[in-house]
Amino acid sequence: MIAFLVIIPLASALVILLMPENQSEGIRRVTLFSCLATLLLSLFIFLSYSVNRSGIQFEINRPWVEALGIRYHAGVDGISAVMILLHGLVSFSGAMVSRSIKERVKEYSIFFLILVASIFGVFTSLDLFFLYFFYEMAVIPMYPLIGVWGSKNKEYATMKLTLFITGGAVLALVGILAIYQASGLQSFDLSVLQSHFAANPLARPVQQWVAALLIFGFGVIASLWPTHSWSPIGYAAAPSAVSMLHAGVLKKLGPYLIIRLALGLVPDGARFWMPVVAVLCVMNILYAGYCAMVQKDLKFIIGFSSVSHMGYVLLGLACLNQTGVSGAVLLMFSHGVMAALAFALIGFIYDQTHTRMVDELGGGLGSKIPFISVCFVMTAMASSGLPGFSNFIAEIMIFFGAWKKFPLPTLAAVFGILITAIYLLRVVKEVFFGKEKETWPSLRDAEHFTQKTPFVLLLAALLIFGFFPSLLVRKIDAGVKRMAEKNPSVFEVMP
Amino acid sequence: MNPIGLSALLLEGLVLALMFTVFVADLFLPAAKNRLGEIVAAGLAVIFACAFLFSPRTGSAFGDTFVCDGLALFFKVLFILTAILITLMARAFLKKSPKNPGEFYLLILSALLGMLFLASANDFILLFVSVELVTVSFYVMTAYLKTDQRSVEAGIKYLILGALSSGMMLYGISFIYGHTGSTQFDAVRGVLSGFETAPPLLLFGILLLMAGLGFKVGAVPFQFWIPDVYEGAPLPVTAFLSVGSKMAGFAALLRICISVIAPFEKKWSVLIAALAAMTLVYGNLGAIPQKNIKRFLGYSSIGHAGYLLTAIAAGGLSGARGVLFYLLSYAVTLLAVFLVVVFCSLHFETDDMSAYDGLSQRSPILAGSLFLALLSLAGVPPLSGFFAKFLVLSSAVEKGLVWLALLGAVNVVISLYYYLVLIKRMYIHPPVSRDSIQLPLSFRVPLYFLMLAMIGIGVVQNPFVHLATSAVSKFF
Repeated sequence: MIAFLVIIPLASALVILLMPENQSEGIRRVTLFSCLATLLLSLFIFLSYSVNRSGIQFEINRPWVEALGIRYHAGVDGISAVMILLHGLVSFSGAMVSRSIKERVKEYSIFFLILVASIFGVFTSLDLFFLYFFYEMAVIPMYPLIGVWGSKNKEYATMKLTLFITGGAVLALVGILAIYQASGLQSFDLSVLQSHFAANPLARPVQQWVAALLIFGFGVIASLWPTHSWSPIGYAAAPSAVSMLHAGVLKKLGPYLIIRLALGLVPDGARFWMPVVAVLCVMNILYAGYCAMVQKDLKFIIGFSSVSHMGYVLLGLACLNQTGVSGAVLLMFSHGVMAALAFALIGFIYDQTHTRMVDELGGGLGSKIPFISVCFVMTAMASSGLPGFSNFIAEIMIFFGAWKKFPLPTLAAVFGILITAIYLLRVVKEVFFGKEKETWPSLRDAEHFTQKTPFVLLLAALLIFGFFPSLLVRKIDAGVKRMAEKNPSVFEVMP
Repeated sequence: MNPIGLSALLLEGLVLALMFTVFVADLFLPAAKNRLGEIVAAGLAVIFACAFLFSPRTGSAFGDTFVCDGLALFFKVLFILTAILITLMARAFLKKSPKNPGEFYLLILSALLGMLFLASANDFILLFVSVELVTVSFYVMTAYLKTDQRSVEAGIKYLILGALSSGMMLYGISFIYGHTGSTQFDAVRGVLSGFETAPPLLLFGILLLMAGLGFKVGAVPFQFWIPDVYEGAPLPVTAFLSVGSKMAGFAALLRICISVIAPFEKKWSVLIAALAAMTLVYGNLGAIPQKNIKRFLGYSSIGHAGYLLTAIAAGGLSGARGVLFYLLSYAVTLLAVFLVVVFCSLHFETDDMSAYDGLSQRSPILAGSLFLALLSLAGVPPLSGFFAKFLVLSSAVEKGLVWLALLGAVNVVISLYYYLVLIKRMYIHPPVSRDSIQLPLSFRVPLYFLMLAMIGIGVVQNPFVHLATSAVSKFF
């Protein structure tokens, strides 16, 4: 069943390939239904993932390339169950928002669905080969998606984004191959390797350079400072749905793969690098935060803000204890939903005004488009970590986890929250409140049901999991605990 | 052991018969003269089918100087497939400049014959003769457009450098013969494995042999001819050079490395690793500033030679398997690239890359297949090129050549850059003109087939890995 998460979008892409180009409405409908189907499926998987029998559920394990020991091993644990739900939500909202794409709809939908399928592929694979396979497959559709349908400086931005992420990926690939060869098991299976390395850990120097390749290779897509520079410019250029998927989900592949591979397979090597990561995270939080404060383009503000937030996620990983890692995964979810919502809202405004500049938009949008404004203010509140949103719980968990290990970076990170509040409140004040400008007479609020759905869906996710975080935390905790139980040298499991 | 073993020569015999048919038809049958392209393509298709149906049982001929084993057959199938598609390209090309089409087809077939023998060569003499058969055919084909200065220049350049490399190769072979008293591969290997330390002059001979083969595969520092010859030669010849001739070079190099000089692996693998590193960097950096599609593909083919050399340097079963899988993927992918490029160059009447601007809106199929093929060359999943690079890098890591694997990985990014530049032209740039391009069936069908093959090999890798493994497993 889990394979359908990958098969449905790919099959829909194939159907669209065979459809005539002028049937834009039909193509949109196929895309939307395909994303709806995967959303429902991921919701089902999330809900029926049982914490009581922790471990991998919905498992498939088939031989793929026998000579090398590659298997199609898929399934979900607590961590990936949550990430699948995130991707289901964001990709469906993305497909709804994609209705604003008017040109070359056929090509757009095909690339979009390949992207959706590959990300599901990463979150469900439990075989190193397929993890990498889908990961790399997700990077490439980005290039045409941003290059063709993007805006502002798109050619430069998309090239930079693609090359940076691929660069990180291939370095990590060498790390993966080193793990494969060093184990001598002729197996890419994550659980097999994990159990093997728990009993016979690799030599420390090997672990260290392999962990470096993995952490800094996948760190690129997590926009770890100083390899973050592709990120704001890429999001600014991308069409809304792509920014949503990228900032919301694709970026989370970085920390996800670091947890799976670096923490899971070479824990001693990871421990060696984590102080470095913690310092770089602080750079992420503060530097990107300061950058966000002076930006004039809304998408750049949210872009830098997402770089800054990824700093918290990575800080949670860096502290290598259960609270921190669980908090990081929770923030991956919360920030994913939040970032997707923010980009969707900005896209909505941009489609009508064709500007994203704070000063050009002027003030008083709140009275003109109240629904969108309310959504944006809620998003800003979530982003600055106000209680009531799951971001708050996640950040608290990260700070608790990190305080013991890295007191100084944690202090700096807490200060980062203030910065977040400053730049978001500035946007809220200058764009949505204040004196109304007469510049946008034709600006219309989201009225139709199809226009409102994506915003409502994402906002609901933020609020539901903000008030009932245990729905997520219990599953995440089970996943994190299982990893630590398999290889206790990652960190001690808390009772 | 079978002294004559003609049954092993089935494919070669059929190609020879086809050459004879073309020759006769060209001379005496004016009605068939205009249909030579179809005749050759159909004949080759029959031979291709024979390669599977009456799979010429593994055997040897001419006192073991010719072997038809799994490795040889693997290459032969690829060579014949390549020749079929080159014939289709040549047919389109010759319609535009119809000068002695019969000769052109005969040269394609004679080069193919040379490649078939080369894949089976189990003796240095046969190896040399078949290499010469291939290259001499190419000298003529390269200079085929006698009135075009660049074509003639390319032919002469290729001739001079090719002759030099053949000389080096022959000189190297003479050293090997001098030390071992034989030219037959198994016998040479037997003597070599008896040596405790390698005599310096023997190593010198191996070095010269490598240099000669390095020229054929376009390894740095023997790559200078590639961009110029690729640019000057008629496009179908460029395609044949970069797919067929390069594969033939690797067929010979691989067989020599894993069978004849395997006892000295420690010595030559360092050399090949160094060549691989230089080739990777040179080819990929060189491709970045190119504006002419033929030169662009020339440099990129140097880059790919770097990956193949990496796998040869890694050696062992996984390295050899990597070479075969890479060549399979390379052939399928590059043939798709050249089908598109040949068609576009004939249609646009220019080789400049700016002609590809906005191609996706003028012909989705041309742009789409070039898009897939370029991504496969860059090594992007789920296309075959990804798994090929995966196998190559994996074998390098296995051997402990982590630095080379990292260099290969970095070069993936560089190559992705310049392939994306071309993709950008096709998809992002506005089209040069609005009229759509109609693709004839003789291009459309092979393109569909090759796209399917790229995706198929890239997703369902198992049968192909199995094939590659069983082709080389007897050497280890």
